[in-house]
Formats: sequence, structure tokens, C-alpha cells
Amino acid sequence: MNETEILHRLVYYSRNEVEGGADALDAVIDQILAVSQRNNTEADVTGALLFNTGCFGQALEGPRRAVEATFERIQRDTRHSDVTLLAFETTTTRAFPNWSMGYVGAKPADADRFGGIAQTSGFDPSRMTADRLLQTLHGLAMEEEG
Amino acid sequence: MPMPDPEPVVQPDAYLAALLELATPVLLADASGRVEFANREATALLGCTAAPAMALDGLFASCGIQGRIALPDAAAPQRFAQMRLSDGRIVNVEARLLPDGGAALTLADVSAFVREAERARRDPLTGLANRVTLHATLGRLLQADEPLTVLSIDLDRFKSVNDTLGHPIGDTLLRKVAERLGTVAADGDVVARLGGDEFTILKPGQFSQQEIKTTAKRVVDLVGRTYALEGHMIHIGASVGITQAPQDGTDNDVLMKNADLALYRSKAEGRGRFRFFEQEMDEQMQARRAIELDLRRALALKEFELAYQPQVDLATQDVVGFEALLRWRNAARGLVSPAEFIPVAEETGLIVAIGEWVLRTACRDAASWPEPISVGVNLSPLQFRSPTLAQTVLSALANSGLAPERLELEITENALIEDTDAVIALLNRLRDVGVRVSMDDFGTGYSSLAYLQKFPFDRLKIDQSFVRGMGENPEAGAIVRAVAALGASLGMKTTAEGVETEEQLAAIRLEGCTHVQGYFTGRPMAAADASALLTQPRRVAEIIEEEGL
Ligand SMILES: Cc1cc2nc3c(=O)[nH]c(=O)nc-3n(C[C@H](O)[C@H](O)[C@H](O)COP(=O)(O)O)c2cc1C
Repeated sequence: MNETEILHRLVYYSRNEVEGGADALDAVIDQILAVSQRNNTEADVTGALLFNTGCFGQALEGPRRAVEATFERIQRDTRHSDVTLLAFETTTTRAFPNWSMGYVGAKPADADRFGGIAQTSGFDPSRMTADRLLQTLHGLAMEEEG
Repeated sequence: MPMPDPEPVVQPDAYLAALLELATPVLLADASGRVEFANREATALLGCTAAPAMALDGLFASCGIQGRIALPDAAAPQRFAQMRLSDGRIVNVEARLLPDGGAALTLADVSAFVREAERARRDPLTGLANRVTLHATLGRLLQADEPLTVLSIDLDRFKSVNDTLGHPIGDTLLRKVAERLGTVAADGDVVARLGGDEFTILKPGQFSQQEIKTTAKRVVDLVGRTYALEGHMIHIGASVGITQAPQDGTDNDVLMKNADLALYRSKAEGRGRFRFFEQEMDEQMQARRAIELDLRRALALKEFELAYQPQVDLATQDVVGFEALLRWRNAARGLVSPAEFIPVAEETGLIVAIGEWVLRTACRDAASWPEPISVGVNLSPLQFRSPTLAQTVLSALANSGLAPERLELEITENALIEDTDAVIALLNRLRDVGVRVSMDDFGTGYSSLAYLQKFPFDRLKIDQSFVRGMGENPEAGAIVRAVAALGASLGMKTTAEGVETEEQLAAIRLEGCTHVQGYFTGRPMAAADASALLTQPRRVAEIIEEEGL
């Protein structure tokens, strides 16, 4: 296998820079997911995204080149900042094989409505490690898939 | 011999046949602009054939050619135009008036020249504009009195990426930086790479400082975001210097210099920042240059001196060592403050040669003292990057005959931040021959305890700011106590620096420091006086008085 094709996983969190309330954020997230699902399917990238306490958390997995290219695009996105890379490493299996980009946890507007649901995702960026963020994403993904 | 008659001597049919086979693409049009004839080369070049009596414009349009040419007339018997073929090739067209009012058009494929010229305007690595293009555009805008902004951008830590990961990854990184800068630039901006890790954004137009701030912030933010490249996570930063025309100048070179001065300042202030040019920067830079010039001559002119400050053991009250302190006495400037010249020496790399002089001189002086006490010598982080440091230390010891145990190298944490393992290996090598090592200015900077674990320092020198602060705030006292305790449990001596009063002396004794160094227990003095102090300890006050030190 070509070295650039080796399966890699990248995990990061970042600070939301989208102005406006939860509804505006929901709309942005929907847009991001739509674009991601299209681009990622084409690039053989899978992963999951969550939003909580003002931060995005995301895992991207796929052939190294594809993950790097996707991440580079995401890095240039002004809708978030302070992107903190928690892990970028080879992996033998995909954690989200069925998701070109799955959203896990509550959307901001729902979280607002039901108050505090988002807290249950256990996502606290200040104490986040790559493994914990990945576990959180994965745990929520399992719930979602039922 | 008479010239041949220019009148035709062959039949017109033969002309036409020759024209058809001519190696140059030729079109003939009648006075109304209809194509009468296209030779083989012209048809091949255009990639389509002319229908009979088709208009010239119609022919070009049907071939997918962009551009048009006006037909020549009596007023302008020759016309030129450049056109782009559907496949991207560039063709120069020249039309000449014929006696019957029609036109002969010759075509020339100049794609190769145009591409070559384009290449000469671009940086081959990133595809951005190069220095020549930047200057040309800048010159043109200034000529036209256009307001504009120049942002000079320099990457932080790029060199270490290049050194550790190699040039191919460094090059890939530069391309990514170029792309990111491209996303910051607006339409009409010129983004250029001037070489190495230097980039420039030229923004034509009138912008307020506030607007430019937003752009500069975006550059710093975007370039500073982590890169995932070839399986590596790479962190670099960007520093930006900004100048605007016409406010700051209206000359190419002046503006570029301004931007660089502002850039230099933003780097000096800690990288990952931006600064606007200010007129004072120029004067400050001139002053710095002047210091540099004098500093370059200082070694040869023997303008450096060493002063020695006593280090006293708190348990015995004995002077157990001296720290060698560098002094620069310049004929015109007088005694120059280290705060003024050390940064220049570090920046220019002169510190390596000066540091070596300090080391050799201090070893020689100490070797002549009547008591075998220690001499402390400061090493700059830059000296650790010189591959010959160990050799220099060993040769200073050998030449002076000083016992290695009497030499105490004082290093700051900064020396350990980069290439920690290599520096520690070097320190271990020196320790193996008996040289002592102390950690200077402890408590400032990161004060990473990890370093204390990685290398067994002989001594921690507590920064004078804590000793000074002890009177006013309890935290300073608590820090002195904590460091003293840390030293005690790690088996390291602790020296409190900057003790100036009896109260401070009592306080640091109480907190458990083992040694003291400061004005109260002895000011820096000349080498001969240090020596004299050791033979006649009681005369110290007089010596200080005489020297006026
Ligand atoms: C938090 C966050 C996560 C994103 N995740 C992805 C992703 O997984 N895949 C993707 O193609 N774009 C993702 N995007 C969107 C990209 O930043 C970018 O807008 C998108 O790829 C469109 O880029 P283009 O306009 O250059 O095609 C994400 C954006 C944000 C803010």
C-alpha cells in the first residue's frame, strides 16, 4: 500500500466563531454536514462531529492524504478558531465506518430547548484528550445508531 | 550591380501556391474584412477552416479565439493584436494594409515566450508573485499616487521545521502557507514570496488601520493554525510588519524597509504578532546598528572587561566564589549597559566570540587567585548551539590550568528549551570532567521542573526579582522558600541574587537559602581587587570605595 494511503485518524476541537443564537448555529451545522457528507464520501473520509459548550469536536479518518487535505480546508474555515489538534496518527480500523460525517449529541437549538442535555455528552474541551474525545464521539455515535 | 527589379517576375498563381506553403501562418482579407485566403499554417494554427467570404471576426469567433483586431487603413497601415486560442496558446497577429485596401495578416505563436515571461514573474515553489513582480506592481501604484498597504510576513520557527523534518516537508509547508495567505488576500491584492520564509501582501486601496488590523490578525491566526502534513503535525507562526502609503512614504524601497522594521519589532516583541510602522522605529534601528558596529570592533579593541561579584556562603560567611560579569567600556559611549548590548550581541551571533573571551579570561583570572574558590561564567543559549562549546570550555581550562571543579557554568532555562537532549548531553559531558553547572535566573521563564529532573544542577540561582519583592509581597517570600526547599531536597545549593539590604539578607537566610550574592555582601569588582579581597578580607569596603564600583 502506498504510504499516503495508510489509514489515519485526526482528532481536534475548536472554538465556535459563528455569530448569532442556537438557530443560526444549527443552520451552519446543517450546511457543514451537507458539504462534509458530499466531500468526504468522495475522498473516502469518515468521521463524527459534535458541538458543545461553544466548541466543536471532530474526528476525521481515512487515507492520510485525504485526511490532510480535508483538515487543511477545515483549518481555513473562519467559522471556528483555536483549532487544537489532539491526535493525528495511524489506525487499523475506522471508528465511524458508516458515517461520511455524522453529527452526534444534541444540536444547539435542541440543547437550548431541553436545557442541559448537551452537558451529558461529557465534552469539556479544557480537559479533553484525544482518546476521551474519540470515546465521547464514538459513544454518542453508538447511541445514535441504536 | 543593379538591384533586382522589385516588380513581380513570376505569375500570380505561383505566388499563391508559394503563399499556401509558406512556413508562416498568413490570412488575407479584403477591404471589407472578409477572409479571402488562409494558408495551411494558418489553418493548422487556428484549428479551423474559414468558410468562403466569412468575416474575420466571425472566423475568430467560430474557432473559439478570444480577442480581435482592427483592420489597417491609410491612417494606421499596420496593426497588432494578441489573441488567445481555444487551447490556451497565445498568438500575436500583425495586419498590414494591401494596395487594394485589403489586409495581410501574419500570425505568430508566442505562447512559449509569454509563459516564460510569466514564469519569470512567479515564485516557482508557490506560484505566488516574486520579488520582481511585487516591486514592479508597487512602483506602478506609487507612480499613480495610489494609496496602498504593505504587509511583510515572516514565519516563526520555520527554520526548525526545515532542520528537523527536512527540506521537502519545508517546501510543502511553504506551499500550504502560500495557499492560506491566498485565502486572506482580497481580489486585486498581490501575494508574493520574496524567498525563504518571507512573504508580502500588497493591498492597493485606501484602508483604515482598523481594517488592516483585521487582515493582519487573520494572517497571524490562519498561518499559525496547525498543519497536518505528510503525517506530521506542524506548528509555526507568523509575524507581520505593516506600512502604508502615502502616510509612511511613497518610495518602493522606503516602504519595504518600513515594513521590515515593523516586522523586526513585532518579532522582537514575541512573535505571532503584527505591528504598524512608526517613525521612531527607524531611529531605534539606526541606534542599534551603531551599537552593532562598535560591538564588532570591541573584542579587537580590548574594550571588554570582567567584574567579579562575590558569592558568600551563608553558613560560614566566607566568600566561596565570584561570578564573572561582562562590562563593555567604549571610548565614545563610556560604560555600556549589558541590557543595551547583550541583546544585540545575541542577535548578531557575536555573543559566541564574546562568550569565549569571557570564559578564557575568567578561567585565567581565577587561576591566579590565592584561594581555590569557584568562578561563575554565564553562557548564552546561542553558545550551546555552537558545536565547539565543549572544546572551548576544555581548552579554556587547559590553557589556564584552572581545576575543572572551580568553573561553574551558569545557564538559563532558555538554553534548554530547544534541543533539550543535545544540550543536556553536552552538560553531562562537561560534568564528567568535573565542571559545575548552575541554573541562573531560576523562577522567571517557565521554571519547568522537568529540567531539574533531567539534569542534576549543582546550584539554583534565585532571580533577584523575588529577593527584591520579599519586602512587599508575601508571594515572593513563599517562592524563595519553595525554591530553597526544592534545592535542599534535590541536593542543590541555592543562591539568592540581588540582596541589597540587611533585612533581605536576614530574610533569605530565614527561608533557607545556602548562598547569597548581591550588593550587600559585595559589589562587582575588578579582577585584581577580587584577588586582594581573598588575601585581606577586611579591606573589601575600602576597595569598593576606591574603585567607585
Ligand atoms: C467544525 C467544522 C467541521 C467541518 N468538517 C468538514 C468535513 O469533515 N469535511 C468537509 O469537506 N468540510 C468540512 N467543513 C467545512 C470546510 O471548512 C469547508 O467550508 C468546506 O470543505 C468547503 O470548502 P470549499 O469551499 O473549499 O469546497 C467543516 C467546517 C467546520 C467549521
